[in-house]
Amino acid sequence: MSRPISTRWTSALLLLVAACGSSSGGSVEASGPPNGQPEGPAQVRLVSPLPNGEWTLPAGDLANTRYSPLAQLTPQNVKGLKIVSTVTTGVPHGHEGNPLVVNGVMYVVTPYPNNLMALDLTKNGQLKWLFRPHPDPRSVGIACCDVVNRGASYADGKIIYSLLDGHVVAVDAEKGTEVWRATVGDINRGETLTAAALAVGDLVIVGNSGGELGVRGKVVALDVRTGHEVWRGYNTGPDNEVLIDGTTKMFYPHDQGKDLGVKTWPVDQWKLGGGTVWGWLSYDPETQTLFYSTGNPGVWNPDVRPGDNKWSCAVFARDLKTGHVKWVTQLVPHDSWDYDEINENIAIDMEWQGKMRKVLLHPGRSGFMFVIDRETGEVLSAEKFEPTNWASSWDLKKGEPVKDPTKQTKHGVVVKNICPSSTGAKEFSPSAVSPRTGMLYIPAHNTCMDYEGVDANYIEGTPYLGASVKMYPGPGGYQGELIGWDLKTQKKAWSIQEPVLPLTGGVLATGGDLVFYGTMDGWFKAVDAKTGAVMWQMRLGSGIIGNPITFLGADGKQYVAIYAGVGGWMGAVAFPDVSEDDPYAVLGVVGAMKDIKKYTGPGDALYVFSL
Amino acid sequence: MTRTCLFALVLAACQAPTKHRDTTGATAAIDVPVGPVPGPGEASQANPNPYTKNDDVAVEEGFKLFQRYNCAGCHGDHGGGGMGPSLRDVDWRYGDTDAQIYDSIAEGRGFGMPAWGTKLPEDHVWKLVAYIRSLRTAMEPDRPSIAADTEAPPNTTAGLARPQVQNPPPPEQGK
Ligand code: HEC
Repeated sequence: MSRPISTRWTSALLLLVAACGSSSGGSVEASGPPNGQPEGPAQVRLVSPLPNGEWTLPAGDLANTRYSPLAQLTPQNVKGLKIVSTVTTGVPHGHEGNPLVVNGVMYVVTPYPNNLMALDLTKNGQLKWLFRPHPDPRSVGIACCDVVNRGASYADGKIIYSLLDGHVVAVDAEKGTEVWRATVGDINRGETLTAAALAVGDLVIVGNSGGELGVRGKVVALDVRTGHEVWRGYNTGPDNEVLIDGTTKMFYPHDQGKDLGVKTWPVDQWKLGGGTVWGWLSYDPETQTLFYSTGNPGVWNPDVRPGDNKWSCAVFARDLKTGHVKWVTQLVPHDSWDYDEINENIAIDMEWQGKMRKVLLHPGRSGFMFVIDRETGEVLSAEKFEPTNWASSWDLKKGEPVKDPTKQTKHGVVVKNICPSSTGAKEFSPSAVSPRTGMLYIPAHNTCMDYEGVDANYIEGTPYLGASVKMYPGPGGYQGELIGWDLKTQKKAWSIQEPVLPLTGGVLATGGDLVFYGTMDGWFKAVDAKTGAVMWQMRLGSGIIGNPITFLGADGKQYVAIYAGVGGWMGAVAFPDVSEDDPYAVLGVVGAMKDIKKYTGPGDALYVFSL
Repeated sequence: MTRTCLFALVLAACQAPTKHRDTTGATAAIDVPVGPVPGPGEASQANPNPYTKNDDVAVEEGFKLFQRYNCAGCHGDHGGGGMGPSLRDVDWRYGDTDAQIYDSIAEGRGFGMPAWGTKLPEDHVWKLVAYIRSLRTAMEPDRPSIAADTEAPPNTTAGLARPQVQNPPPPEQGK
């Protein structure tokens, strides 16, 4: 709390270690049993624990655990949680992401126009300064799923984040002045930036959005000091542009071969091939590897693009310094349902079949909970966590899904009752893992769809869809579900079902064995991490699609913060600009969301809580 | 509006130090009312819409063009909204006359509505206008029915007790 985190990786690491050593209840080892013992939760080791008391990166830590060791709030005392401050951002659109807390200041990035607010936490959240970057207003119309922003990173004395119009901006954290602005995307070609930029060491990594507009997916590394581009890696196209070479080691045979990013597409289709990176980036400091996964292949009509369409819907491991690809594993070859696999890849060391393994946890939009060896790309486990029928299972040996041919979407045919819908069994909203319980907390949802491939015309800067999609609630009488997922058995330990709306907000797990999350109808809840019992809840002013964070105030007390501002893809149906009598509207989600206006309306508030 | 007023004030301020104005023969600086809606008024449209919303051939073609030019991707397959606003509802940002809708399409609008005027033949734009005007009327082609596949609305969530919802018959599952 007293010192800003240095951007130099080595010193940052030292500081992290120091912070953890001195933290309250900050043991990074699990409370589980020693290796090989069958009883108790899976043993989990954190590879890059959170700096104590602060929240300086999108997910808190580099590994994306969204676990904070803070333990003042517990299932016993959380009943006394009260609002201590609210601040409105003035932008009633989808508030995805979460604020940062650095050095007693909270930083809030708003949806377009992407203002950055610095709030002085020593003065109960009073505005310290407001930075207005004035992005190009034309970007509003080409953003597929509301004008959202998923957060910022703090590094080198700067707050660094993406603007909707394709730029990345670095702002002096003390003064609120612009230090640099870099161009990463081109809105004329349909590229927007909505994902949270991840700062690691001397670099800040950003991915692009626009998979619905024929964009070519990529990640770009910028120099934290200057904003100059250091490397870029595409997710489709020839190996030299994807940064694959002879030293890249693909685990599965069908991912091996030259220029698969070209050969698994019809001629030139990879140029419009999607595979964007609008979800989360994670990093393992021990192996210096960057992880992320890619979105849907370009054009939703699968018949336009026969082939595996690499490297869409795939997990990437890249060397941080050079961008060089270590491995890629494609989770959904020839995606025919818009199952972007952009969800978080949480890097932890975990007990798996009696041995500690270096894994990634990837709760997939495709409905499978993937556990992946992060050194090799081997999939160790892939169990379903929500109704999923497009594939009966995911074959670990062959490294591919066992697809159900009756759910294969086609040109000119309406294929019915496909589960999950294009919004996934879980959206971008990030899960959290607790080393204390050996559980992953997944904010999931349950919608199904009818899907028809239709003609697609590529017109630069307009949607390149070629599909007519209509979604509706899935089976079982619920739309959202918070799942307590046992990492040892790869099964649900408990779950909380949300009857009326999906869950598209993130989760926080704490050292006090609480799990925080919010619902689209505006309930903010604290749950016992072990049992799933709801210990506290409060209804906020708008639906919650953001991620809770926790931090220590200057007074030494633990605080929790969350945005309430409905929107995003599914939540956009809450806006007055959408008519519920077109079930195909908003890229097909209206059918599943037509009641949302009864439960919530647009909002723009930040809430801060403590005892 | 505020900006217009400000502008007028500034103008007035600039003019104040100069010679006293002759108010008797004053001619208005602009001789048509400055309305709140951008684009020309109905009267100024040189070529009126050759199609009406009752011209079912034009409306049907407009519907096809709405898909072909990817209007549907931004505004919804049946104009219900998404990246761009709903074209089915009663609210119009830029006016609901044929001429105003024509201008929205031909000239584009500031928050990301592309300008199609130089890319499409004029009659295509008019057919799109005819289609848009047909929405929610008996003339609308392939009018979507929402009732067919959705369930009764759930109860309210007021209070802490959460209602259970009845869902449609479950689709078959893989699990
Ligand atoms: C890239 C997305 C996109 C595409 C493609 C697109 N629009 Fe739009 N459209 C928008 C947005 C965004 C607005 C609102 C612009 C604003 O408020 O400045 C809009 C506004 C409009 C309006 C004015 C609505 C009002 O409330 O006044 C009309 C009419 C319209 N579009 C028709 C069309 C037609 C017809 C097409 C196809 C030829 C089309 N649009 C293609 C995004 C799009």
